[in-house]
Amino acid sequence: MTEEPSPASRAATSAPEPSAISHTLSPVPGSVTPHRWRPKVRVTTLLGVGITLLLLWLVLYPNLFVFVDSLRARGEFTMEHYQRFFASRSEREALWNSVWLSGASVLLSGLIGIPLAFLFSRYEFPGRTILGGLAAMPVLLPPLVGVIAFLFLYGESGFLARGIQELFGLALPPWRFTGPWAILLVHAYTMYVYFFLFTSAALSRLDRGYGEAAAALGASPVTAFRRVTLPMLAPALVGASLLVFMTSMGSFSAPYVFGGGFRVLATQIFVSKLNGEPAIAAVETVVLAAVSILFLALLQRYEARREYTGAGKGTVSGLHRIRLGRRGTILLTLSAWALVGFLLLPHATVLLVSFVPEGTWTTEFIPPAWSTANYTSLFSESELLTPILNSLRMATIATLANVVLAFVAAYLLVRRGFRGKRLLGALVILPWALPGTVLAVSLATTFSVNQPLAGRFLLVGTFAILPLAYFIRNIPLVTRAAMTSFRQLDPSLEEASASLGADWTTTMRRVALPIVLPGLAAGALLAFVTALGEFVASVMLYTFRTRPISIAILSELRAFNFGGAAAYAVLLIALMAVVLLIGYGKVSDGPTQ
Amino acid sequence: MLTLESLSKRFESTTAVDSLSLELGRGEFLSLLGPSGCGKTTSLRMIAGFESPSSGRILVNGRDVTHVSPRKRDTGMVFQNYALFPHLDVFENVAFGLKARGAAGAEISRKVAAALERVDLSGYERRPVQDLSGGQQQRVALARALAPEPPLLLLDEPLSNLDAALRERTRDELRTLLKAVGITAVFVTHDQEEAFALSDRIAVMNLGQLRQLGTPEELYRSPADAFVASFVGRANFLDARVVSRDGDLAEVMIGEHARWRVRLDSDGGAGSSSDGDVRVMVRPELLRLLPAGGDDPGGNPGADGNDDTALSGGSRGNGLPGWIVERRFAGSTTQYRVQLFGAPELLVSVPGHGPRLEGRVLVVAEEGVPLRAFPRSGL
Amino acid sequence: MSLKRRYVTILTALSLAFLTACGGGDGRQILVVYSPHGPDLLKTFEARFEEANPDVDVQWLDMGSQEVLDRLRSEKANPQADVWFGGPRQLFQAAADEQLIEAYSPPWAAAAAEYSDPQGRFHGVYLTPLMIAYNSAVVDSASAPQEWDDILNPEWADRVLIRDPMASGTMRTIFGMVLQRSIRETGSVDAGFEWLRRLDGQTREYTLNPTILYQKLARQEGVVTLWDLPDILDIQSRGGSYPFGFIFPLTGTPLVEDGVAVVAGAPDQELARRFVDFVGSESEVITAARKHFRLPARSDIPSDSLPETLQRARDVINPEPINWQLLNERGSEWMRYWDDNIRGRG
Repeated sequence: MTEEPSPASRAATSAPEPSAISHTLSPVPGSVTPHRWRPKVRVTTLLGVGITLLLLWLVLYPNLFVFVDSLRARGEFTMEHYQRFFASRSEREALWNSVWLSGASVLLSGLIGIPLAFLFSRYEFPGRTILGGLAAMPVLLPPLVGVIAFLFLYGESGFLARGIQELFGLALPPWRFTGPWAILLVHAYTMYVYFFLFTSAALSRLDRGYGEAAAALGASPVTAFRRVTLPMLAPALVGASLLVFMTSMGSFSAPYVFGGGFRVLATQIFVSKLNGEPAIAAVETVVLAAVSILFLALLQRYEARREYTGAGKGTVSGLHRIRLGRRGTILLTLSAWALVGFLLLPHATVLLVSFVPEGTWTTEFIPPAWSTANYTSLFSESELLTPILNSLRMATIATLANVVLAFVAAYLLVRRGFRGKRLLGALVILPWALPGTVLAVSLATTFSVNQPLAGRFLLVGTFAILPLAYFIRNIPLVTRAAMTSFRQLDPSLEEASASLGADWTTTMRRVALPIVLPGLAAGALLAFVTALGEFVASVMLYTFRTRPISIAILSELRAFNFGGAAAYAVLLIALMAVVLLIGYGKVSDGPTQ
Repeated sequence: MLTLESLSKRFESTTAVDSLSLELGRGEFLSLLGPSGCGKTTSLRMIAGFESPSSGRILVNGRDVTHVSPRKRDTGMVFQNYALFPHLDVFENVAFGLKARGAAGAEISRKVAAALERVDLSGYERRPVQDLSGGQQQRVALARALAPEPPLLLLDEPLSNLDAALRERTRDELRTLLKAVGITAVFVTHDQEEAFALSDRIAVMNLGQLRQLGTPEELYRSPADAFVASFVGRANFLDARVVSRDGDLAEVMIGEHARWRVRLDSDGGAGSSSDGDVRVMVRPELLRLLPAGGDDPGGNPGADGNDDTALSGGSRGNGLPGWIVERRFAGSTTQYRVQLFGAPELLVSVPGHGPRLEGRVLVVAEEGVPLRAFPRSGL
Repeated sequence: MSLKRRYVTILTALSLAFLTACGGGDGRQILVVYSPHGPDLLKTFEARFEEANPDVDVQWLDMGSQEVLDRLRSEKANPQADVWFGGPRQLFQAAADEQLIEAYSPPWAAAAAEYSDPQGRFHGVYLTPLMIAYNSAVVDSASAPQEWDDILNPEWADRVLIRDPMASGTMRTIFGMVLQRSIRETGSVDAGFEWLRRLDGQTREYTLNPTILYQKLARQEGVVTLWDLPDILDIQSRGGSYPFGFIFPLTGTPLVEDGVAVVAGAPDQELARRFVDFVGSESEVITAARKHFRLPARSDIPSDSLPETLQRARDVINPEPINWQLLNERGSEWMRYWDDNIRGRG
């Protein structure tokens, strides 16, 4: 951890040589901006090499151990584990299930998230701002708690099923919340947010002029949407699809709790591990990662073909929202409220459960008793604060590191053409393709011994390992946010700064950073909140001193104390919401373009 | 002051700038003029240091700055979109260059105030730049570039983001202001009128090559080639055949009957073959219209073609028959579009209130002024 | 530059968060315990051990026993834990084979020798009887299944909840019992798998973890399950309305041996040993029995010092002989076969 920011800071502080004659970073044919002004070739060379090495070490290297594990048996290299994997019917089934389920999750999340984004960015109605904020709330549903909330809500003995059963006097619950459709519902429910947020952001950037130009050229609204709006949204949609696909591939809790007998790779890994077959678990991990990487590569190719860099003049026209007639507005408002209410049901459930005294709510439609006992017992415990402070501290460290890395990486990726750019581009996205468990396992393996020469340090059991895990997991999120900001940053601003006599570091500090910061900070906030509630990697790597909030929740759950867990979860959600509110408040009164 | 020595810039498959050489004196204004993609912006960016040349040298005051980073070149730059820093107010924008060069606080305040005064924006110091109008933003950009007092100022299409009315006024103010500062300036523009109004000399570029460097007058009067002729001002072109020649001067035959006197391109080309095909360039204001004589429209206007005056081009006998497509009154001139028989359309510009001609006419050239002719392959 | 001020504010707030969180230990010796026993029991022992040893700060990490093993593996080069407290014998055996735990003989070792490693690397502390549990609000004790085979009766079709056996040592032991019975009686596992196939047909759901199992049992998504005594008693004791009943099948009840061990290379070996001495001491196993319904492994604990339910259990239970070594060797293969060919297909 202490090693990690050094290449960047070293390069940034060393006095750069004025001579730019040696073009160490040679331009790559066909890259986006290869012939732009090249500042301080030395500094950026150092940065590029440093960051690539750092990512190779932290992102790729640990996973090699997993890969090697999948190829070894009795001290020899062999393909037998792979043969076993592909010979097994249930393994093939799990692979196929993972793929189609992830694809379907992308589709369904998009179907919810995109129209929702249009609704909130294109129409004006009372409560639009508040609802728009609320619609992003599922970001704040920590993984562990989310699943439990669904159980209470949609499970066959849950709120809704019991309600319907009671209402119609059914002998049996109306449905069983299990199988692929249940998983799909949970995925769509929690992942539409990516589409919602990405599309909203893109829509707010989209110059209305384009739409008007299309209309002036005689395009029908449908054509204008298809030919103008949709292509302009493409990068955002690609990003969201990627995120949803990766998250679905790695999703463990939902398939495990709601899957019934439905196998996916993520649960197979778990099962193989528990069954004492680490080699098969490694094969399953490699296959899962391979599928994710394949998808990533496909989308990146697609993305590379269409780069929409500020075709406009950088002036964002005030977004024009459509106001419907009276009746239309009422209808719109009602449906928006209903929709958001529906989407927030899991949160409501968590809140509800947190007020149910333990052991009272079994077969009733609504809880028969209410109290704040869960909260009082929570607050009476002296240990309450430690996990919260631990999480805050570790998430902060990880996020700060993320911001530094993302800024430099995004600058290099957007502004510079150099050999190895594709490698760097792949490395900053790769952590998305690796499920949290895989990351945790690989980190635990790599950093459990002290072999400095092999790039392995003893981090397991120390404070550093969790922030490191959070940092790695959030690299793609923050870097993408920074890249988006850099793409919107007019390159002539940096040139203007240089022509005014500012050196590279001054230009970055005084021009690029302040302008990129809002976008970067938005990404960082999301990363911070994710780290705050991170569970999958934490559970494998935490120590007593570093136990985070999610572990405290897990502990309550293990003790069959749903109320306590829910109360903790409510605290966590509140904490996240406060962070986001303050954060976005700060960001939004910062400079905007 | 500024010297470019066979400056070239090659991208993978294309040559954006091909061996550009020119020299610029102190206090001189030069425009790089050409259609988009001609390499003028790339040239400017190489002078600024944002692009490194594939070959050639750039010297500022005799110092080779070819590989010097932009920030050490001491050139001010005004960007097409102004590139004002959106997170800084007017004062901070203008002060940016001074701060970057480590000026002291008092000096910064003084120089910023002076720069804003000069562009008539005193009192706008604390305004966010987004709140300013396009014209004001342009002036802030100018003030920002001038504040560190660079010896050389580069302006990339400085007026293209302004609307037409404002553009004309700003153009004149800009010239006055820059002349008052005494700075050396290079403009990039695709607008010939703008180039004429702003600069002392103009470099016309096309396809990465310098086609002609000269004063506006030279460019207009004696364009080096057909491209320059057509790009600078309005020009009519007529295919012709050289009949006889005497040094630079030659007599050409246009169509079957009309003989006009032209000056040939001095650098050979058509000059090498005395009876080669050429293309005659004639400005609209050098053409005159005569009412078509007699009732014989397509007949034989040059019946008395052996008259000596025919060579002057002004006589009816050397007129080109055609008919008027449109007459347009444009204030100081009247313009006619004339469709020649079996030949292209010509634009004829007559000073003042031209006669209301209709139907058939004869087009003749102004007497005494030899027309330019270029080799046919030149276009 | 109001931006600058804003950065400063944020940075100050952040560093404040660090400082308050940075408070390290309070000077006491630290004892780290990895244990699946759950917060309730662990809190009890934390308090009691710290009372007896005021200079010690007990820090426990509550996790599944399989996770304990995984952790010990990944921390092998830099052990973080002093004691592994709780888990089935197979896992301790695996840890012993990998030299993750080290030999130590506490004073009470002889009394629990039957359930301990002959080389003294781990020692049985508790015995966990596995049995049939049911929701007593729906089923009364007379009509509940009395024997393992009764679960297969048509009346329980689609009413059985099973904790996912891939992830549960408890269920693995029960499945192992079924297969070993099959081997004993027929010489092969085929009959046993056939039995499991029928069980799969009866099963409504395999649940992720015990908590969800309890939850679904309490909410009557299913009414019968196979589970262990201490957990059921513990939930019963919570006074709430969890109506759980249980039955020990008379043909045999497996007893899972629940051990304790000193972690190899423990940061504080002396303290680790002291803790092992402590949890196996007479007063502490009786505390665990009374407060947390753990059946002591020690044979020298008089029955009358145990709570009534455990006394009764001791009397009723007919221990099922389990060949632990066989289960250790073939367990993975059996479970893989079950997962591939039986789960969801019965």
